[in-house]
Amino acid sequence: MANDVKPTRKNLMEIEDRIDLSERGHDTLEQKRDGLIMEFMDILDQAQDVRDKLEGDYDTAQDKINKARAMEGDVAVRGAAAALKEHPEITTQSKNIMGVVVPQIESSKVRKDLDERGYGVLGSSARIDEAADAYEELIESIILAAEVETAMKKMLEEIETTKRRVNALEFKLLPDLNENKEYIEQKLEEQEREEIFRLKKIKAKKEEEEKEEEAEAAAEAEAEALEAGVAESDD
Amino acid sequence: MSSRAGTSNPEYVNARVRSRRSSLFEEDDYRKLVRMSPAEIARFMEESPAYEEEINALGSRFSGVDLIEYALNASLAEDFEDILRWAEGELYGHVARYLRKFDAWNVKTVLRGIYSDTEREAVADDLIRAGEFDDRLLDRLLDAGTVEEAVEVLSSTVFGDALADALDDYESEGVLVPLENAVDRAYYDLLRTDDLSGEALSEYREFLEAEIDFRNAINALRLARSGADLDPSEYYIEGGVLFSAGELQQLASNTDELIDRVRESRYGDRLSDALAELEGAESLIAFEHALEAALLEYADSLGLIHPLSVTPVVSYVLAKEREVDNIRAIARGKEAGLDPEEIESELVII
Repeated sequence: MANDVKPTRKNLMEIEDRIDLSERGHDTLEQKRDGLIMEFMDILDQAQDVRDKLEGDYDTAQDKINKARAMEGDVAVRGAAAALKEHPEITTQSKNIMGVVVPQIESSKVRKDLDERGYGVLGSSARIDEAADAYEELIESIILAAEVETAMKKMLEEIETTKRRVNALEFKLLPDLNENKEYIEQKLEEQEREEIFRLKKIKAKKEEEEKEEEAEAAAEAEAEALEAGVAESDD
Repeated sequence: MSSRAGTSNPEYVNARVRSRRSSLFEEDDYRKLVRMSPAEIARFMEESPAYEEEINALGSRFSGVDLIEYALNASLAEDFEDILRWAEGELYGHVARYLRKFDAWNVKTVLRGIYSDTEREAVADDLIRAGEFDDRLLDRLLDAGTVEEAVEVLSSTVFGDALADALDDYESEGVLVPLENAVDRAYYDLLRTDDLSGEALSEYREFLEAEIDFRNAINALRLARSGADLDPSEYYIEGGVLFSAGELQQLASNTDELIDRVRESRYGDRLSDALAELEGAESLIAFEHALEAALLEYADSLGLIHPLSVTPVVSYVLAKEREVDNIRAIARGKEAGLDPEEIESELVII
């Protein structure tokens, strides 16, 4: 990875910016994850209560319907159920918990008065009423459980996603960026050192050349002076 | 339909009924049944002369507890049809009026079938052909495609006027409650028109009064427990001795007073335990069960004083119904995995 990056100062600055941004993102996501976990724990408690109630309501409803079927007969119970066509209605809205959109389920026409259940009051029994009551209670519990457990599931998914993002930042992106940063810094330092060394060499070479030129110039001057001395003596 | 020609023939019918009564299941039989599986119960019934034919006839179409329940209903229908066939004159009138509750059942079953778009065959299976309606009328009723058509088919029956009056309410409210209540009310109203004067019918009269009083009491308690803003007097059935419509309306809002009224009545001794339990209980089921048991005690004593009246026949009708209810309760209870002790507590064995 680090070898793919060009070790330039511009890239170094870009990487430093990205590290800064990623660290801030990491902190924010960590806070979000912790907040979500706290919210999740609250919902989990609620979900456990709702699930316990749901199981209790289911057992009660089964007991009531079994006794109604035993004492009134399956035909009578099915007949009473067939006397009603209207089904409970459910409307869903949504609410936001720390950025997670969870459903809010509203139900209507679940609870019914004795004269709204379809079967006649005069010829029916308390066993059928209580079985119907128990199933109405059960439906309400199922709707509440659906709301709470869907919220819990969505929160859990969001916690997982956030956790994966935090981990990705913490264990992948930030180490990679830091590695790149170190790589570029090392390279730049290396380049700097090379440059200094090169400059020093150039300088030394230049000085040597200057010395040589000076020596040459001195030699030339000496030679010229010597030649001039010889010519004078010939004259 | 309720006045077949001829003189009343209680001697003949009672003799036939007495032999049928002797073949009803005893307490020991129930004790055995409670410890059997549903398949064993079906086999036990197959070996019993009262249910053998029905089990064999229905065995290819139904299985398990459904087979037991349909065979019980078929046997009940067969038995009561026989009684209606044997009875003549005044006796026929008394028995037919009481057995109209099965006509009321059939009317409600067909209306519910039409209302919920249930297949004709399935609705036909649920009928109990134990009342006065003959097969032709029931087939015409089953052929009706709408509730209005069914009401039209029933226009010539004893339920015709009541249903026609309730049809507007059904059409405006869209629920079967007005029609079902009209059918049940018509049944009780017609039962009340039965001439039960005379010493020989006094036990039967007392039994019917008890049935109506108990139904009024339990319905008032059901209305009170439901918390709905319903007028109890609208659900009041005439013919009892315990409450008037006005009294029931007042008592329904104060269930303690209602319970006190029942406790101080002629039913108080029979129901004292159930009334004590009802005061603190959330459920009415135990009380309803106690009322049924008390009613069956009445029924059991019917005919002991006047053996040549309608009462032994009615007593047999109720005993047969009780047997069917008990066997069904055992089979369904076993199917649901209830303990034998729990099932036994639901049975009414006198």
